[in-house]
Amino acid sequence: MLPDATVVRSILSAAGVHDAPAEETSLGLVCRVPGSGAPGVLAALRESELDFRILVDMLGTDTGEGIEITYHLRSLSRDEELYAKTALPYDGDLHSVWNTFPSALLQERETAELFGLKLVGHPNPKRLFTTEGLEPLLRKSVPQRSVEEVRQR
Amino acid sequence: MTDPRDLVTDVGLLAEGAHDPGSPPAGIRRAPTGVDGLTTEHLVINMGPQHPSTHGVLRLIVEVDGEEIVAAETSLGYLHRGIEKLAETRRYNQLGTLMDRGDYVSGMHGEQAAALAVERLLEVEVPPKARWTRSLVAELTRIASHLIWYGTFGLDTGAMGQFLYAMRDRESILDILEAISGARMMFNYIRPGGVVADLPAGIDGRIRRFCNGFDAYLDEHHALLGGNEIFQARVQGVGEIDADTALAFGLTGANLRASGFGWDVRRERPYDAYPQLDFDVPVGTTGDAWDRYMVRMEEMRQANRMVRQCVDGMPEGDFTAKVPKVIRPPEGEVYASVESSRGETGVHVVSDGSDTPYRYHYRAPSLFACQVLEEILPGHLIADAVMLIGSLDIMLGETDR
Amino acid sequence: MSPALVIVLRILAALGLMLANGVVLIYMLRKVLGHLHLRLGPVHVGPKGVFQTTMDVLKLLSKEDVWPSGVDRALFYLAPMVVFVPSLMAYAALAFSETWRITDLATGLLYTFAVLSIVPIGILMAGWASANKWSLLGGMRAAAQQIAYEVPLLLSVLPVVMIVGSLNLGDVVLAQDGMWLGFLPKWFVLPQLPAFVLFAVAGLVELNQTPFDMSEAESELVSGFATEYSAMKFGLLFLSEFSNSFVISALGVTLFFGGWLVPWVSSEAIQPIAPVVFMIKVYIGIFVMMWIRGTFPRVRIDQLMQLGWKWLIPASLGWIMVTGLVMKLWQLGPQVVG
Repeated sequence: MLPDATVVRSILSAAGVHDAPAEETSLGLVCRVPGSGAPGVLAALRESELDFRILVDMLGTDTGEGIEITYHLRSLSRDEELYAKTALPYDGDLHSVWNTFPSALLQERETAELFGLKLVGHPNPKRLFTTEGLEPLLRKSVPQRSVEEVRQR
Repeated sequence: MTDPRDLVTDVGLLAEGAHDPGSPPAGIRRAPTGVDGLTTEHLVINMGPQHPSTHGVLRLIVEVDGEEIVAAETSLGYLHRGIEKLAETRRYNQLGTLMDRGDYVSGMHGEQAAALAVERLLEVEVPPKARWTRSLVAELTRIASHLIWYGTFGLDTGAMGQFLYAMRDRESILDILEAISGARMMFNYIRPGGVVADLPAGIDGRIRRFCNGFDAYLDEHHALLGGNEIFQARVQGVGEIDADTALAFGLTGANLRASGFGWDVRRERPYDAYPQLDFDVPVGTTGDAWDRYMVRMEEMRQANRMVRQCVDGMPEGDFTAKVPKVIRPPEGEVYASVESSRGETGVHVVSDGSDTPYRYHYRAPSLFACQVLEEILPGHLIADAVMLIGSLDIMLGETDR
Repeated sequence: MSPALVIVLRILAALGLMLANGVVLIYMLRKVLGHLHLRLGPVHVGPKGVFQTTMDVLKLLSKEDVWPSGVDRALFYLAPMVVFVPSLMAYAALAFSETWRITDLATGLLYTFAVLSIVPIGILMAGWASANKWSLLGGMRAAAQQIAYEVPLLLSVLPVVMIVGSLNLGDVVLAQDGMWLGFLPKWFVLPQLPAFVLFAVAGLVELNQTPFDMSEAESELVSGFATEYSAMKFGLLFLSEFSNSFVISALGVTLFFGGWLVPWVSSEAIQPIAPVVFMIKVYIGIFVMMWIRGTFPRVRIDQLMQLGWKWLIPASLGWIMVTGLVMKLWQLGPQVVG
């Protein structure tokens, strides 16, 4: 279920990402790649012997210092799952991986829109869910009522 | 290995230069063709968001040449309620209520996914009775959801007769679920650790009565719609998705299995009582709308089989594990998924140690079905568009969240 | 009474029949579809909901007549009339009994088909005049399907005309008087079963009924060509559709099921209640059409075109040849003199 960390690291090195951390967490095997290198790394992981052909899920998280994008990859032939994370600055560029994984088409639009990133290399980089003029809703800077505030209505 | 770029056609949405600033929506372009001084234009038609037949508020912008679709683009967001943002101020045992309102037709599956994610974070063991109860209500929900799909799929093709027959059977299921959980739709029954309350006395008799009658009803449903030659002519050979395309676009569930690839979360990543249940997973061959229809009909039959097994084999014991009232899981992330009626419904939770999630992501299978819709629609007729939306069983509540 | 007054009264009778038919048929449709669909249909307005249609008509009369901006005003206004008036005219040649007709036309059958073929023009006008792409598609589909299927419709009834030797609908019924072998009625459905099947299919297409209602496919086009119409204009379009179903069913009964004839009873003996018998048979035919409507899904437009051009027309031509051959070999039917 968990891919071999050393193999993953060697694939990442071959793709140009050296000394990439690939550690086991509560999530599974997580490897980190620099922001703009995600498409190349994902393509390398797809073509490699580990055969990560499926992009199950893609999500962004506002870490307070920037946006962290998590790609959830799955290899069906080997029944393994891998998580690739990249860190992007606020208002940074999100490089599209649709060439490798067409399943990212709508998810990237959603992530870019709700986190305020600029979508690069995408055939249709429009907003997906919200109307023009709305701020990036999933950022922590956009406030929401806390549990106590909800209870004190 | 197939290059995914070969799978994606170069018409319409993804064509070269499709996105010029100042041009109409990406890929939708008017292509005049002139003969003898007469020009014909492609019409750009808007289907939805309110429409007698789209399943939810789905807006499709299609460019048609006569009746043939040349390019299509889905426009989502009409049901976007910010579930992922709302989840950041909800306690962990309240997340199920948000999932109920995502895919509102199969609410128990969403609750199951949320509960599984929290249980994995807490590393708590769910007692057997709770696991079997969860599988029972999940399979009942699967039948209910597929009955809605069946009823509305017929309506999409013009057959109105079978809709209320499907609803009649769904009423029996909703009555059972109401007796178990107290609600017909927003159940709020599956929580982290188990379920909220024990099964009521006498419910197994009711469920057995339903199971005994349902197989015959399912045969009737199949004879009414699937046995009709006009329906078969409408549905066979239309909307073919081969396995490579399906996998590349992230399809899961019945849509993927109809294309020939048999991946089922209940088999590959078992959870709850599924390791102990005996069931078959139907797999299609060509991935056309007919295969998707047959796979879902067979899934209903298998779900009925599982419901009977759950009722017969229900163990004794606690209906929930001991979890604190206010759940504060340790820091970390987890991804948990279930096989919902539409595919792999996944929940990715990031916890920062407090009583509310730091980040909550809902992987909705219908979003990928919408993507693949844009891919397969060119080349079909408008009449097929409505039918294909129905055959992919797109639920806008979970697509838009 | 002066002849002019008689004519006016006959026309008013036809109009009265058309309106009464509309009221009864709409209620019947809703009840029949309801019970087929495991529900009840109208129940509240009047005992068992019988006044539902009356109330609906009053509602339609009192609704606001919406004129969407951008419509072609002349065509938008005329289209319901071009659809409604031919439907009324089609009643002229129907034979309810030996003496009860609006008028006795020697070319009754041809006249009825000719008049019904004006209706697609009105539908096309309605689809075009509404400034709505969906109505346009609906109107185009209606024009394509109805014009294409007039050919098999006419060809399918040609063998019956060949046997009878006359286009007068009363003569067609009288030719079916009598019994074979003492117990089989001489209705044309028995020797001309393929013609009846072809007529039934082509008739359903002409009527825009499911399984052939692509021009008003609710799940795709909302209401097709009639989407932008409201109040009485919509009422006229709607009424015309029900009236056409009565006319086609009446033609089917006249041509194939013996009109007002009852088996084992001669034509003269049945005359007092002949119109009642005729209406009962027509309504049974309409019930079967509604039954089909409530059960089958819709055929796609290209599949329908293929069915018409590739299957129905060759089949009807083939059957004409077979009938002609049989008639020649066995010296049946009227002999051509001179």
